[in-house]
Amino acid sequence: MSPFVIWSVVASYTILFQPAQIPPAVVIRLENDRIALVKKITPPTVAVVSGGGSGVLISSDGYAFTNYHVVGNGGPAIKCGLPDGKLYDGVIVGLDKMGDLALIKLIPPQPNFSFPFAVLGDSDQVYPGDWAVASGNPFLLASDYTPTVTFGLISGTHRYQYPERGMFEYTDCIQMDASINPGNSGGPLFNGKGELIGINGRGSFDKRGRVNSGVGYAISINQCKKFLGSLKAGLRLNHAGLGALVSTVDDSAVSRVLVNQVFPSDALRRGIQPEDQIIRFAGRPITTVNQFKNILGTIPAGWKVPIGIRRITEAGETVQLDVLVRLISGERQETPVQADQPSGRPGQPKPPLKPIPAVVKAVYEQKENFANYHFNKILRENALVKLQAQLKLLGQNTPWQLQGQGTFQNKNLAGGWSLMINPAQPAEGNNPATMDSVGLNIEGIDFRLEPLKADLDSRALRDPTGSGGLLVAAFHLKQLLCLGAKGFPGEGCTHGGVEPYWPPMEAGQSFDQRKSLMAEVIKTTLGGVSSRWYIEPETGFLLSVEVSVDPEEDPCEIHFSNPQADRMGRLLPRDWIIIHGDKTFAKLKVVDWKVNP
Amino acid sequence: MRLHFLTLVLFGGVVSGLPGQESLSQVFNNTYPKVVKIYGAGGIRGLAGYGTGVVISADGLVLTVNNHLMDGGDLVAHLHDGTRVPVKVLAREPELDTALLKLGGAKQALDDLPYFDFEEAYKKPIAGPGVSVLAFSNAFQIATREEPVSIMQGNIASYGRLFGRIGIFDIPFSGNVYVVDAITNNPGAAGGALTDRNGQLLGLVGREVRNELTNTWVNYAIPVQAQVDVRGPNGMSRIGIMDLVRKKESYRPAPKVEKPVDVEPYTGIRLVSNLIDRTPPFIEEVFPGSPAAIAGIKPDDLIVYVDGIPVPSINTYRELLLRYKPGDKIRVDVRRRDQLVGLDITPLKALEGSKPPFRIPLITQPSGGRP
Repeated sequence: MSPFVIWSVVASYTILFQPAQIPPAVVIRLENDRIALVKKITPPTVAVVSGGGSGVLISSDGYAFTNYHVVGNGGPAIKCGLPDGKLYDGVIVGLDKMGDLALIKLIPPQPNFSFPFAVLGDSDQVYPGDWAVASGNPFLLASDYTPTVTFGLISGTHRYQYPERGMFEYTDCIQMDASINPGNSGGPLFNGKGELIGINGRGSFDKRGRVNSGVGYAISINQCKKFLGSLKAGLRLNHAGLGALVSTVDDSAVSRVLVNQVFPSDALRRGIQPEDQIIRFAGRPITTVNQFKNILGTIPAGWKVPIGIRRITEAGETVQLDVLVRLISGERQETPVQADQPSGRPGQPKPPLKPIPAVVKAVYEQKENFANYHFNKILRENALVKLQAQLKLLGQNTPWQLQGQGTFQNKNLAGGWSLMINPAQPAEGNNPATMDSVGLNIEGIDFRLEPLKADLDSRALRDPTGSGGLLVAAFHLKQLLCLGAKGFPGEGCTHGGVEPYWPPMEAGQSFDQRKSLMAEVIKTTLGGVSSRWYIEPETGFLLSVEVSVDPEEDPCEIHFSNPQADRMGRLLPRDWIIIHGDKTFAKLKVVDWKVNP
Repeated sequence: MRLHFLTLVLFGGVVSGLPGQESLSQVFNNTYPKVVKIYGAGGIRGLAGYGTGVVISADGLVLTVNNHLMDGGDLVAHLHDGTRVPVKVLAREPELDTALLKLGGAKQALDDLPYFDFEEAYKKPIAGPGVSVLAFSNAFQIATREEPVSIMQGNIASYGRLFGRIGIFDIPFSGNVYVVDAITNNPGAAGGALTDRNGQLLGLVGREVRNELTNTWVNYAIPVQAQVDVRGPNGMSRIGIMDLVRKKESYRPAPKVEKPVDVEPYTGIRLVSNLIDRTPPFIEEVFPGSPAAIAGIKPDDLIVYVDGIPVPSINTYRELLLRYKPGDKIRVDVRRRDQLVGLDITPLKALEGSKPPFRIPLITQPSGGRP
């Protein structure tokens, strides 16, 4: 079965040209190139049967992108047809409603089964005038799941398309004139080399009805990549918001984006003020609100991004500031409209969900705020196993004694410190039961905290002053390393996806030289205190933890480095940098780390 | 001879880029700056308030389709670099469904404006069916300011007369057009550029029309060389877009009619804000030295009669006042506290733009014309 291809352009050339006017070899070569291209892009194209759309496989173990509006409103089980003519079971993995993106996983029919998959391209290297090839299942034409391939040009890049009913905002998207129609949704857009550059999902329609009118849009694959790591963690994702209102001021040759109002958020805590001009956002220059929204929409909520600010001070001087801001969730409050109903007329009862096949049940777990908690648990366990491969502390909930040297910058102090963390003990003999406790001594000054005690003084949780809560952070560190997920009872330990981790600025380093690296995030909560743990994906090295006593305040950040093996072969980080807000609280050197005194 | 030309054109297209062979991004980059986004009247009943135009001279001559955008007041264009400039309509040629515009604004904004060489394009032979084409337009107003317009690709399907309609009206162009196989004629695309694969101008993207016979949508462009026969004062004659470009005026310029402008004569009275249909004509302010001040009209007076005619509202007062010329004597009866006071005002001429000595700027501007 050869794919159905719209060859209009080539066909017209072959009809028109007489052999004498064109070297036939060129035409044949082009034909062969095109045939090879279609052969390459056909196998990973998915016909999403439940949902009536398309998708594209991106890994041999069966992960595939599609649109939220194709699969997001149905059940977890998805039937998918592949061009081999077979129907496969699939399951929802992660959902991004605002971005209209969904990650599904086709379930391999037998072990060691390998799916064909598309190679991800770089959509920042896509330009208007490039060739565009769309593949999918328009009008659900293919009963044998052979995709329809359509061909055209990239008509525009970095386009912005407003949300529909508060969702499906297409930011920084790709516009094409390759024909996409109902049923193409969620299917792949390829460049001329057959690399995946986008996920088709929208079109501009007007008087001609909901069929192709020459203007289709695809979510850029670079946006998809930013969400992929977190989609794999089974999350329902939000898009980012700055926490400030901005507007375009158009009073000069080049327009400017000014901050109008700043809400309580990291933006406010990092010192962004009304009247500030935003000149760079997440590494791209900004002159209009549209550009700003275009970039903002490609970033998941919770990411930290660099923002460049220009400010005119009261003295009339123009200063330039660079800040690293953790973005908030930009999701508007959802109104309970019927948008969530599966197709069908309003007022009709929802069709009963089809029974979930056993193979899907095995890889699906329902939980609020998650698309599929099963995948979250798997990724969480994998991350914790990687972490323990270095630290080898799991299950050894013994007292800790750490000692070392440090500099404490808010006190201008350099000297010795010691840290003791004792796990709770049940009553034994004459000894009464004790609670978990943390003790810290900095140059003779003692701090002590029982972090799980009821009615804790809120100031005690933030001790030592200026650290944002180093004592409680140390306790959480021990919980995670010695007890794993069990240290945070009540499902208090989940995988938080993948996001950039920004190491602290080094001495002599300029802001522009800062580089982030993508890290796995583990989120924990215990006793009302929440933490984000950053883990280097390849090595399992614990990069950092941010412990928040109050989500409206700056956390206590501990950045770890310089791992050295102890005599048991545990790779324990010896350099700790403790940061609270914009200030470094302390730089600690761990000389002695006894985990079993 | 004509056929020979045709093959040359086709061959030229082939050499410069076979479909799928190489990216047309360079052609795009060279061409889209020659297209401007136009904003004008519209925004109702399926008529877009935006459109497209092609620049044909470095100092900002622009060709577009003669559509409803120009029916309103102010036209504005966004240049490729995001500069926003005012637009003047030089000439509209209904028979050619084409309009010639001139970009205004600061001179430096128009320095080195990229443009299509219209003379060159005009000399080229008509492109035949099968020629690969590109369309550049701001369809659906996807782009604003410096954002590039959209590019589409397709082929010329035929060259001939079009029988189409817009709504229930025949399309106002009777000459030959290029019919293309791409969906180029979307909202806002009219006036965009149809080019060959090298970005050489072939025509103007047309309107959204349906075929008269099949009721299906047709995508067409008006060729650069378009000509139509029109009946004028001296009998039939043939006109083309080139005539419009060279003469910068319509074949049949619309007669310039001096519109009689109704301006009420100047009394120096400012009434309270006319908020409802029947706002009573209370006087808010009397400008010092004005005819009303000389007559003794005072603030807070209520106008009751004008030459014996009752004045229930500001609207009535304004209508009545339009009957008077400067220098006429107007008998005005006002209610002042419990009294009715009769006063004679001799109004002056309301001079637009000039500043008689008794006028205070801005606020004292007498209400020119109807409210």
